Amino acid sequence: MSLKDEAPTQTLDTLGRVCPYPLLLTKKALEKMSSGQMLKVLCDAPASAEDSIPRFAEKGGFGFESVKLADKWELYIKKA
Amino acid sequence: MADTVMFLLSGLLIGAAFGFALQRGRFCINSAFREVLFQDYTMLRAYMLAVVVTMVGANLIESLGMLQPVADASGGTTAGELYRQAFVPWANVIGGYIFGMGIVLAGGCGSGILYRVGEGSLAYVFAVFGFFFGIVITKFGFLKPIYEWMIAPERVIWLGEDTVPTLDNVIGVNKWIVIAVVSIVLLYFVYQGRPFKKAKKGYAWHLVGILAGIIAVAAFWASDYYGGRARGLSFTGPVREFFLAVLMGNSQAASTDKTLTLLGVTFSWSSLYVLAVPIGGFLSAKLLQEFKLKVSPPDEMLKVLLGGFLMGIGAQTGGGCNIGHSLTGVSTLAVSSWVANIFIILGNWTMVYFLLIRPMRDMEV
Repeated sequence: MSLKDEAPTQTLDTLGRVCPYPLLLTKKALEKMSSGQMLKVLCDAPASAEDSIPRFAEKGGFGFESVKLADKWELYIKKA
Repeated sequence: MADTVMFLLSGLLIGAAFGFALQRGRFCINSAFREVLFQDYTMLRAYMLAVVVTMVGANLIESLGMLQPVADASGGTTAGELYRQAFVPWANVIGGYIFGMGIVLAGGCGSGILYRVGEGSLAYVFAVFGFFFGIVITKFGFLKPIYEWMIAPERVIWLGEDTVPTLDNVIGVNKWIVIAVVSIVLLYFVYQGRPFKKAKKGYAWHLVGILAGIIAVAAFWASDYYGGRARGLSFTGPVREFFLAVLMGNSQAASTDKTLTLLGVTFSWSSLYVLAVPIGGFLSAKLLQEFKLKVSPPDEMLKVLLGGFLMGIGAQTGGGCNIGHSLTGVSTLAVSSWVANIFIILGNWTMVYFLLIRPMRDMEV
C-alpha cells in the first residue's frame, strides 16, 4: 500500500504561502507528530513541493510520496 | 533595422533563458544563503558553481579581447573591460545588509521575485513593485540625501589614483591566480555535494548552476556588444530602467549605454531582459503544469511588499542585488561586490533568525 492510500493523521494547508513557509510549517507540524504518523501537505509553491520539502523528507529518513494535481501538490510524509 | 531586431532579441532571449533555467532549477540565492543555517548546502553549491562558471567565462572573454574596444584620451582605442563597481564601503556594507534582510521578508531574491511572478504568484508582483519603490525612493526621492552622502566622491576608495580595487590588484597578482584559487576552493565544496542527483521534474542543482553561469557570461558579452557596456547580468539598475521607460518614457540609463526608442519610449538594453525573466519563468512553469494564479494570506502579502521595498533601498544603496553583486560582481573580482556579498549574507542570516528561527522556537514552548 502506498503512503497516499493511508489516512493522514493531520493535513497541513500551505496553499498560497511563499518560500520558505511551506517547508517551515511542514517541519513544524512533523516535530509535533509521533513516529509512524502521517502528514499530508497541500502545497502550490513549485520550489517547495518539488525541491525543498522532498529533500528535507529524504534527509530525515521519512517516507515520502508526492501527487501532482492540476493546481497543487499533495505531499505525504510519514514520520520515521 | 537588423540592429534594432538584434538589440531586442538578444535582451529578451537572455532574460527568458535566465527565467526559464531558474524556474526549472528552483534556483534561489536567498535559499542558498538561508539554508546554510539549516545545514542544507544544496542550493549554496548550485550558487557556487554558477559563480565559478561566470568568473572563468567573463574573465576569459575579457582576456581574449572579445569585448568592444573603447576610445581613449589619445584618440586610439584600448581593450574593452568588464564593468567593475567602485568601492564605496558605507554604501556596500549598509546597502548589502539591508538587501540581505529584505530578501528573507520578500521570500525571493532580485531574480527570484521576477521569475516567480511568471509562476503566477501575486505576492511576488507585490515584491517587484516594492523593489521598484525602494529603488526610486533611494535614487530620486526621500532617501536620496543619505544615499548621495554614502556614495559621495570623498567616500569612494580607489587603488592609487583611479583604479577600482579588485581582489587581484589589491593582492598584487595576476587575476588568473585569484580565479584559480577561488575556483578550486568553491569546486572542492561543490564536489562534496555528490551524488549529482536529478530532481523529479526540472533540473538538478548542478545543471541549473552551470546554466545560470553560462547565461551570466552570455549577458556580459551581449550587454557589451548590444548594450554598450559590459555590465553583465544585474537586476537593480535594469528594474529601475524598465519601469522608468514604461512609466516615464525613458530608462534614464548611463550615458555610455545604448538605447532603443520604440513608439516614443526609450529602453536600455538591460531593461529588456527584466521584462523577459517572468516570461521565461512562465513558459517553464506552464510546460511543467505548475503555473497557477495564487495569493498569499494578507499579512504575508504585506510582509512581501515590505521585503521588496527593503530590497530596493538596499540594492540601490549598495550598488546591486544578489545577481548584480553576488553573481556578476563577485565574478569581476571587484572588492565592492565581495564586501557587499558578505553583508548580503549577514543581513540574510539576521532576518532568518528574527523572522524564522526565533518565532519557530518560541512556538514550541
